[in-house]
Amino acid sequence: MGATAEDAAIRASARSSMKGRERANMAMFLGPAFLVVGFFFVVPVFVDIAISFTDLGRELRITEITTKNYERAFVSDRQLPAVIWRTLWYVGATLLIFNTTFGLLLALATTSISRTSGTFFRAVWLLPRMSPSVVYAILWVWSVHGGDTSLVNQVLMHLAGTEEPIDLRQTSPMWVIIFANGFIGASFAMIILTSAIRSIPGHLYHAARCDGAGSLARVWHITLPQLRWPLTYIFIWQTLSLLTSFEYILLITGGGPFRATTVYAIFIFQRAFGSSGQYAYGAALAFFLIVPGVILALLLWRISNMRRLLQRPRIEVQ
Amino acid sequence: MATIEFRRIQKQFGDVTVIPDMSLKIDDGEFVSLLGPSGCGKSTTLFMLAGIYLPSGGDLLFDGARVNEVEARDRNVGIVFQSYALYPHMTVFKNIAFPLKFKKVPDAEVSRRVHDAAELVRVAELLERRPEQLSGGQQQRVALARALVKDPTLLLLDEPLSNLDASLRLVMRTEIKALQERLKVTTVLVTHDQVEATTMADRIVCMSDGKIEQIGTPDDLYRRPASRFVAAFVGSPPINLLDGYAADGRLIVNDHPLALEGEPATGEVILGIRPEHLQFMATGGLECRIDQIEPMGRETLYVADSPLGNIRVLESGAGARHAPGENLRIGFHPEHVLLFERGRETLITGARASVRQG
Amino acid sequence: MSGTGIDAGRTEAQRHWDELAFRARRSRRAKDASLFTFLIAVSIPVIVPYFWLLTLAFSAGMEGVDTKVLWPSILILVPAVVATWVWATLARSRRHAMTGWGIIWLVTIVLYAVIVGPHLHLYNFRFLYIPEFNTAYREIVAAEDNPEFSLTSFPSVWSAFWNSLFIAGTATLIVVTISSLAGYYISRFQYRFRASSLATMLILHAFPTTVLLIPIFIVMWQIGLLDTLTGVMLVIVGIEMPFAVFIMKGFFDAVPWEIEMSALTDGATRRQAFVRVVLPQVSNGMIAVAVFVFIRGWEEFIFVLTLLSSNVRWTMSLYTFFVTEETNLGVDYGIVSAVGLFYIIPSFLLYTIAQKYLLQMTVGGLKG
Ligand SMILES: Nc1ncnc2c1ncn2[C@@H]1O[C@H](COP(=O)(O)OP(=O)(O)O)[C@@H](O)[C@H]1O
Ligand SMILES: [Mg+2]
Repeated sequence: MGATAEDAAIRASARSSMKGRERANMAMFLGPAFLVVGFFFVVPVFVDIAISFTDLGRELRITEITTKNYERAFVSDRQLPAVIWRTLWYVGATLLIFNTTFGLLLALATTSISRTSGTFFRAVWLLPRMSPSVVYAILWVWSVHGGDTSLVNQVLMHLAGTEEPIDLRQTSPMWVIIFANGFIGASFAMIILTSAIRSIPGHLYHAARCDGAGSLARVWHITLPQLRWPLTYIFIWQTLSLLTSFEYILLITGGGPFRATTVYAIFIFQRAFGSSGQYAYGAALAFFLIVPGVILALLLWRISNMRRLLQRPRIEVQ
Repeated sequence: MATIEFRRIQKQFGDVTVIPDMSLKIDDGEFVSLLGPSGCGKSTTLFMLAGIYLPSGGDLLFDGARVNEVEARDRNVGIVFQSYALYPHMTVFKNIAFPLKFKKVPDAEVSRRVHDAAELVRVAELLERRPEQLSGGQQQRVALARALVKDPTLLLLDEPLSNLDASLRLVMRTEIKALQERLKVTTVLVTHDQVEATTMADRIVCMSDGKIEQIGTPDDLYRRPASRFVAAFVGSPPINLLDGYAADGRLIVNDHPLALEGEPATGEVILGIRPEHLQFMATGGLECRIDQIEPMGRETLYVADSPLGNIRVLESGAGARHAPGENLRIGFHPEHVLLFERGRETLITGARASVRQG
Repeated sequence: MSGTGIDAGRTEAQRHWDELAFRARRSRRAKDASLFTFLIAVSIPVIVPYFWLLTLAFSAGMEGVDTKVLWPSILILVPAVVATWVWATLARSRRHAMTGWGIIWLVTIVLYAVIVGPHLHLYNFRFLYIPEFNTAYREIVAAEDNPEFSLTSFPSVWSAFWNSLFIAGTATLIVVTISSLAGYYISRFQYRFRASSLATMLILHAFPTTVLLIPIFIVMWQIGLLDTLTGVMLVIVGIEMPFAVFIMKGFFDAVPWEIEMSALTDGATRRQAFVRVVLPQVSNGMIAVAVFVFIRGWEEFIFVLTLLSSNVRWTMSLYTFFVTEETNLGVDYGIVSAVGLFYIIPSFLLYTIAQKYLLQMTVGGLKG
């Protein structure tokens, strides 16, 4: 009797110590990461929503709780429709021309030539990705500015025989930022698609060759179908980053000339940190970007196969 | 249909020579097997035939015409890969129809030919499935149908059975063989499995390190292996190979003298005798003691300690009739002895040895 | 071209096959030619600006931006590269190739030294030891009495360098530590919110952080970390955390269970097994995450620009940015190039050295 009670007590204490260890492990392993993530993602989202209902401005003082930021966004901000339209055009064009199509072309071309040559050309296209944004932007400015010493003008005036220097940042600012962002986006697609292409078994190509497919037919019938999921991933991921990042635009055109390159993300930045310092209005505008951000992130999560990512633990002790 | 000829074909990958110099002729309608250990260049040879690899030197002839640089798609070869290489995103129907897509075959005929090919390999009811929904054997059949649908002049099979389980392998072996006899298509089978090669092929090309060791019928390879390598590679359980020294009509193996007959042999030699050609007997022969027993179902393999060294003896009939430690005598017929020159490792034709002391 | 043993009277069949072989050769050549043409054509606009940066850093003077070194350099180097390439395909043996390349590059170096050499100098790198490198054209500008000219006061570049190093290095240490712990737990333990914690990381790794710029700014201001290096460092830790956890989880997934099981059988607790047995197995992952986070910290611009203001806390990105602003009137491109080069080199080196680790990272089943 006493023995069984003792046994039960031992078992109970073993169980509770197991439970205790489980909790301790969770706190120790998972705790720090979730603290950090909570502090830098969850808290800011709520702070953003809170600020958007105030009049927080330059003096960093809140005097009233109000919905006038949203009224302004929906009703009175005359610039907003143009900004949104510009954003769609910029995101769509960059995405379709560079981040998917051109990146795919680079990946296909560099994997169709000898390995060394392929690596060389990929390395060239990694240069923009490897350089800090400030330096990359400087190179763009030097290449396209309006003086006769910019690279574009040197080539045009000395090789093509153009008389006057042209200023691409004045004449076609949108294309300048599309190209600047596109080079970076194309290299992203290039890296991911290259390794996706590499992982397609070589014997599929051999089989297709024996079955009569030429090089283009092989790309069309073998490669492209296998790249469906990586391309979807790139498409969503790059939509998100094009929508929200504005570093290069800020550094190359500053949103100008005359707001010609002021897309939504930089518009928020200028409202909040520009001379006006309208943090509250900026927060309200940012809130509208959080929504598609969350939706696209969720979509990305949906299409990645959850079950494949979680293997069942094979050790049960804590 | 086609006759194939390799004339002094070479193949290098960068600095690595895989095929140094290969000459080989395959007749119209013949079923030839390339047999050799893995990594010896069988697939490379096959891929040169298919037009996937370009030979680095020599001539590859189809019906006497040089085709070295002709694209794979112009050669009209059907090929089944070791991994089957079914297109994962296409249904079985589309997989089989794929080769016809590039031949501008009308739709109705495509459908008819796909169904015929599927019928031939008995996958007609699977046409709407995708490769991942098929078992290994079914994938194999689909791959075969895809290779056959275009009426190839040459059928290439790269280790087609190695991914199947043992019983299925047996079935497919018979089926492929029957199919080939029916279609009379020139066929090259690559395999590292001697049983596959001997049961299916009319002729076997035995390779090692990119070189042809012997070309011959399965029987030739078994009875008269041209080299030590072939002797060791063909036959299961493997042949006994014993180092010896021949002089004055005598062969000394492990200090034990044997009598040499037939063609004279001198110097360092290797004596080969297959386990199934050794018999236990009451008198005569050599004294030996059983060391180890390996029951193999219908047969029993003994490892015996004899004056010649450790040798394997195969006795047919189920159940071991001897126990380890038992002292017995073994003997063999001189006809069954193979002698190889050491160094060149080639067969000394006509030389024999017997237990009778010379 | 026909085989050795083929009779002089060539058959109909042979002609047919020869025609096919000819077509195959032609289409192979056409394919190679078009691929190389495409790749070379699109790569030139990428490579030339970088090359220009390089030449400017070592040649430009204060008289303004110039290309007097760029074009001759290109004219010398491009033929040399092409020759090297062509020779690689022509050379009959390795030694043959080496000799050829030796000659090509010797000629190139001599030509370069004679034609371009006199223009090269290291004066643009004076910012490395003179903080007030801009005094020279300050005077020019002052002389022209330009009222728009801002009088930025520059700290030493080394202060910016150490600041960047502090931010990137500390953030790297923290992220690698925390993400290893979390990645291991998500990969190896069964618990109630396992799926949702992985989902959180995956969704947040895609979440656009620049959207949170304003609230983060406000939070930093509230807790008194605005305009501190620690604040910026923590922000980078936060931003990179979900991605790092996700990547580390992938690396832990690949460690065989048997290793851990045998450690447990040998008497280790799971924590001990984690430290002694599992962690060493994921060192490649830790290196990959470390390099990734370090480069992100080293290059960060937007958060640094918004969260830092005093010039003693400038990072390399701000330093470079303000050097550019300072010389925006087109006075001294040489120094901008030199600073840019100084800033870019650690990134390039890290990327190059760690490339094999970076390529092992998998995002949602994809290598990135
Ligand atoms: N594409 C290739 N590039 C470089 N080496 C290769 C290539 N294909 C085969 N090899 C080499 O050639 C040798 C023979 O290969 P293979 O023909 O596949 O052997 P088998 O089919 O007999 O197993 C191997 O050592 C292999 O590494
Ligand atoms: Mg093989």
